[in-house]
Amino acid sequence: MPWPIDPFSLPFMQRAALEIVILAPLAGVIGAQIVLRHLAFYTHAVGTATFPGLVIAGPAGIPPALAALAVGGTYAAGLERLGRVRGLGRDVATALLLVAALAIGIVLASDVFDSGSGVERLLFGSLLAIGDDELYATLVASLAVLAAAAACRRTWIATGFDPQVAPALGLPSRMADRLLVAAVAVAVIAAVDAVGALLVSAILVMPAATARLLTRSVVGLELAAIGLALAEGIGGLLLAFELDVPPGAAIAVLGGVVFALVTTATALSGRAAESAA
Amino acid sequence: MTTLVTTSSLRGGYGPRSDAISEIDLHVDAGQIVAVLGPNGGGKTSFFRALLGELPHWAGAVEIKGRVAYVPQTERARLDFPVSALDVAAMGTYADTPWYRRLPLASRRRAHEALEMVGLEAEAGSLFGEMSGGQRQRVLIARALAREARVLLLDEPLGGLDRASASRVGRVLADLKETGRAILVATHDINDAHEADRVLCINRRQIAFGPPTVLDSETLERTYGGELITLPGGGQAVVVQHHHH
Repeated sequence: MPWPIDPFSLPFMQRAALEIVILAPLAGVIGAQIVLRHLAFYTHAVGTATFPGLVIAGPAGIPPALAALAVGGTYAAGLERLGRVRGLGRDVATALLLVAALAIGIVLASDVFDSGSGVERLLFGSLLAIGDDELYATLVASLAVLAAAAACRRTWIATGFDPQVAPALGLPSRMADRLLVAAVAVAVIAAVDAVGALLVSAILVMPAATARLLTRSVVGLELAAIGLALAEGIGGLLLAFELDVPPGAAIAVLGGVVFALVTTATALSGRAAESAA
Repeated sequence: MTTLVTTSSLRGGYGPRSDAISEIDLHVDAGQIVAVLGPNGGGKTSFFRALLGELPHWAGAVEIKGRVAYVPQTERARLDFPVSALDVAAMGTYADTPWYRRLPLASRRRAHEALEMVGLEAEAGSLFGEMSGGQRQRVLIARALAREARVLLLDEPLGGLDRASASRVGRVLADLKETGRAILVATHDINDAHEADRVLCINRRQIAFGPPTVLDSETLERTYGGELITLPGGGQAVVVQHHHH
């Protein structure tokens, strides 16, 4: 079989590619909301906050996805409470809890469980070692998040556009916003197996952020983000295979390069249009 | 004439014992425009929130026939959001469609008709953030119309608009008045208030309600207090806004 098809004859590459195919719609639909609602820092923080849960999961015999869900959910709830403290601000609360979660994870990994090299896998993912159980877990999480997105799509758009007026339009914006925060947390946990706790933004933020520069509608943004997530995911996987580097990092680097190229191209075309006018 | 809005001894605020408004007694008929005059922090927004049912603590009586829609100042909406004028107008119909159904053709038609009523049908596909301030204000009015609201609450709709855009929005409001809607417009412009059918002067409590003739210097003084300057030589009273930073 010719390159680039040949590497995908290997079962572990097939499973990794399937994981990317399952995550791509999630990256498009939830990624679009993350970018439009300015939730990128929250997304990164929830991903990092799952770290202590993942460290505990192995020694405690708990499925990693369940441990990550518990810790990620606790983080989101803590953020909801701390974010309401007057004078603190949501971004400060996000940063404080992020540092706390990371520090607890490091202490647990180095001094309590002596996780050693396993930490790297937790932080940067293990796409090439994905098993059937992880694939099923990602599929279930993706379907749940996409169902929530289908239910709340119109309210999310109307609330994102004009948060003050959405309730007066008869829309359940408060409930939908809570569901959005929960959906992002579940999407993050679904992506952790593939790209690790520190690199979830490579799947959930980078493709949508790049697509935002190229599109003029929410549907266009979602579709372009799905396409980019798929292309960057499969491309990063091939890079990782050929160069023998971690796949999560390869996907993140590829996503960063594509974002930089698109940013440069749109800036140049904008300048050319200004000179022509 | 059908009365669409009636309030009686309306009072309320954001805490149980801190009234932002009190003693509001008014009735607004179909086809009337009411100018709501008052200083910053005088309770105009709280009054609108009370009519929308969003004021956390309130007492008294409010009776509204038909749906109410709020039209904010255009600066409050996200200008970087990738939505067209038609998308924004269609938001007024979202609550009528269950989440599991696609937006029906009838809703899209309503959004198109609403844009037509504000003279923007030809701009349906334009990005909201790329439109002029006056056009954006008309799109937000179209969103309220698509909601099939009989009572419109507009928060300083002419603020920040140039004379031509303000005049175009003013004509839209005059057309809507002819369709039998009740329109309440929060404004700082005493000249605009003179053009309305009724005027509500409010400064944490109702100062006056009635035809524009209630706008004598004593009422304006009580409404605006130190923010009011009367020009010498019989000139118009001018409201000086104090912006808090």
